Amino acid sequence: MDFPTIISITESELDLDALLAQITLPTMGAAAIFTGVVRGQTSRGKAHETIHLDYEAYRPMAETKMRQVADEIRQKWPTIEGIAIVQRIGRLYPGTPTTLIACTSAHRNTGVFEAARYGIDRLKEIVPIWKKEIGSQGEEWVEGIYHPKPGE
Amino acid sequence: MHKVKVLFFATLRDYVGSKSVELEIPFGTTVDELTDLLVVTYPSLEKVKDSMMVAINREYTADEQVIPEGAEIAFFPPVSGG
Repeated sequence: MDFPTIISITESELDLDALLAQITLPTMGAAAIFTGVVRGQTSRGKAHETIHLDYEAYRPMAETKMRQVADEIRQKWPTIEGIAIVQRIGRLYPGTPTTLIACTSAHRNTGVFEAARYGIDRLKEIVPIWKKEIGSQGEEWVEGIYHPKPGE
Repeated sequence: MHKVKVLFFATLRDYVGSKSVELEIPFGTTVDELTDLLVVTYPSLEKVKDSMMVAINREYTADEQVIPEGAEIAFFPPVSGG
């Protein structure tokens, strides 16, 4: 049986229930869902307030790399059944879900938590998406720190 | 010479002032050489030259890589999605 892999970059609101339904199977009994949310108030590091974030993507490459992250998850955790990797782009305000990484499997102790964690970590390393933060003190592009290797 | 499409994202697009440009480059041009060429045209890239990522045809690439004919080359800062 082919397990479902949902890859999406969208400007629409994320429907977490609908996304979960798409990776729900008769054989699965556990789902780990991570969703990132626009933080309005940051206290770690330089304390500041965020008015909104503007996301953009290099869409064709981002979709390819999201698919690669899903493939890496399946290689590391063969017990994973459904995978959803979704990024919302455009202008997003505090309290809004921005991304969803969900993994399903038969039981909770088969790596679903680790797989979802790996998924969001990898998305932040290799998927070409950027956000500009518009805050009370002006605007600034957020830059990551990871430099992918050739072919990664 | 052959024609390539160069894309810029996020900060780099702001520096260059354009989303994409089409360039004629000599056969055998490497990523490194194209980067130097772009810095001459867009001096504001100088300060981010060493930290920017380069993808050829939507795959991360090495500085010494020769750019294939008709390639789509993207320059961007380290990613920050999520």
